Amino acid sequence: MSTHANKGTLRIIVVAAVMVLLLAWAQGDLRFIGIGPWDAYFVRILNLAAINTILALSLNLVNGFTGQFSLGHAGFMAVGAYTTSLLVMTPQMKKVVFFMEPMFEPLDRICIPFLPALLVGGVVSCVFGILVGIPALRLKGDYLAIATLGFAEIIRLILQNVRRLTNGALGLKGIPQVVNLWWTFGAGVAVFLFIRGFVRSSFGRALIAIRDNETAAELMGIDVFKHKLLAFAISSFVTGIGGGLMASLLTTIDPAMFKFPLTFQILLTVVLGGMGSLSGSVIAAFIVTFMTEFLRVVDEPLQLGAYTIHVPGLRMVIFSALLVIVVVFYPRGLMGNKELTWESLSSPVSRLLRRRVAS
Amino acid sequence: MLKRTFGLGIIVLLVLAMLSGCGQKEAKEIRIGVFEPMTGASAAGGQMTWEGIQLANELYPEVLGKKVVLYLEDNKTDKNEAANAVTRLIEQKKVVAIIGSYGSGLSMAAGPIVMKNKIPTVGCSPTNPLVTKDNPYYFRVCFIDPFQGKVMAKYAYNDLKARTAVIIRDVQDPYAVGLAEYFKKAFVELTGNPDSILAELEYNTGDQDFTAQLNTAAAKKPDVIFAPGAYGDAAIMIRQARQMKITCPFLGGDTWEAPEFIQIGGEAVEGAAFSTHYSAQAPGTEAAKQFVEAYRKKYNKEPNAFAALGFDAYCLILDAIKRAGKAEPEAIREALAATKNFKGVTGTITLDENGDANKSAVILQVKNGKFVYLTTVEPD
Repeated sequence: MSTHANKGTLRIIVVAAVMVLLLAWAQGDLRFIGIGPWDAYFVRILNLAAINTILALSLNLVNGFTGQFSLGHAGFMAVGAYTTSLLVMTPQMKKVVFFMEPMFEPLDRICIPFLPALLVGGVVSCVFGILVGIPALRLKGDYLAIATLGFAEIIRLILQNVRRLTNGALGLKGIPQVVNLWWTFGAGVAVFLFIRGFVRSSFGRALIAIRDNETAAELMGIDVFKHKLLAFAISSFVTGIGGGLMASLLTTIDPAMFKFPLTFQILLTVVLGGMGSLSGSVIAAFIVTFMTEFLRVVDEPLQLGAYTIHVPGLRMVIFSALLVIVVVFYPRGLMGNKELTWESLSSPVSRLLRRRVAS
Repeated sequence: MLKRTFGLGIIVLLVLAMLSGCGQKEAKEIRIGVFEPMTGASAAGGQMTWEGIQLANELYPEVLGKKVVLYLEDNKTDKNEAANAVTRLIEQKKVVAIIGSYGSGLSMAAGPIVMKNKIPTVGCSPTNPLVTKDNPYYFRVCFIDPFQGKVMAKYAYNDLKARTAVIIRDVQDPYAVGLAEYFKKAFVELTGNPDSILAELEYNTGDQDFTAQLNTAAAKKPDVIFAPGAYGDAAIMIRQARQMKITCPFLGGDTWEAPEFIQIGGEAVEGAAFSTHYSAQAPGTEAAKQFVEAYRKKYNKEPNAFAALGFDAYCLILDAIKRAGKAEPEAIREALAATKNFKGVTGTITLDENGDANKSAVILQVKNGKFVYLTTVEPD
């Protein structure tokens, strides 16, 4: 038993060390031994993939594990992104950006470091999550989806209209670009471990029971509403963090960014990875982010003998076609509701080795 | 088995994509990157701009004896994609200058990246003043919202002799919000009456029913109604206004310049006037006439302002390279910043200290189902 545990710890240490080394290499922190940083384009996609992972994980907690179909993600991201941005922007930048109407009095002088701002963004988003969750979570299925979707739209409209707080439709620019791979991957790993721990706890089991059969769960003595609300609050906190990271990566945000398609894109990632599979969400977030970028190749002019084919936008057609194919072959997502484990990883390898030995 | 083949197929595809993405072709050419929304909500605008840029590239394919090659990246009307596209153009395509993008938000996402990499970028139609503010590497060939708002206020005051106005703006659209704001400022200044704007009403993109706003507007009896916003919304609004027997003139911005505006509005939009970037009918614009002719020949349709601005952005960069004498980003940036009286399709362009185009606007009016040139308004 103890050797088993030791083996597990060793594996985790090795994986963590490899990851840290790779990140340091990519980020350019190993320049002193003459390697790295990686291509800025590739690093940007990595950052984006990590942020998408955070967003997918948080949506999966509500949609996949608790079985509550929420479509309010873009709204929570907006809250997190705006809160973080308004707190970290320098007073000079605020003056430049709010050139049409000056900003509200005390806020135009407030400027705090990124980490507390990010956390405040998460907390504010969480408060919104609870406020929305209390009435909305009494609804089920489609009705909950519509209510949360409505909430996201309300948030966006507020951002558009309260010009002295958000600069309205003109948006914000000049948000300090603090995030790098350490931030995005650090937050990604933290969120993954946190949600995994939560799902494995008695709370998580209760959530899964609610998903599978709400009436039965209630009969077993689970306070259904309280559990749903807890999941919703955690999810909105994490989403707010994701929004804050994205704002800092982009350095500019506007209300039009947080329209329904954003929620849809995260939902797509969760469904592709498998509702109720954390590792599925991680894999899908990386696949979706990298695929849309790599498929840029098909947008470029292609020389076929004497003909030149140039169809800008073709990559989205191919991307959609690939999604359809995945859904046909994996109707429950790439991972279903299973998790990627050492065993599931090593068994095909060991099987292959065994076959090699046998032959 | 099928699953495994399929999985393998995807992996092979990804690896191939990665390899081809990394491939660098060695050539003596000048590379200009373009990032525009070719898909997503703003695809129409991006595609029209791209047509204009391509036409310019066909007419002027060389500078300093070197071939100019365009690299197009789609930004999917998405800020993250816009940032990715620009990074890809800079890192992998090694472009010396960039053109783009339709949509101010998308341009702002690219702003810090081009600044960090010191690659001069020329926007075709992003009108939000924030795009070029505090960014010495971002320029644009269009005029900005403040100027356009002022132009329409001047026109309303001087030509229409209007002394009162009502504003009905699309609150979702930064462009409409900016235009309305500056129209108000200029109009109040011209009339000297702080209450000359009788009401400021709002609607959302895609609204179908404007009776509430129009009723309020009608009750105030304004001399003109200024309604900056998308052509579709505006056309429906004007139709409803005419049905409600509101007869005062409607004024708008360059977004109205689309054949659909007249198709949707029909007889109701007769007399509606708006500011825009250029008109082939305006006197003394040889370049515009040539452009319209070439565009008609190539695409078999009428060009609009976005195509013209794309054309101008390309020509401006080429002109800057010629003046700089070398195709190096820093040299191009300096030449761009020093642009004076560049004769473009959309007017004579001088770039100010922000990198914004200081140029004339034209006012068009709908007459007999066609856009007719009224007047040219020079910048102060």
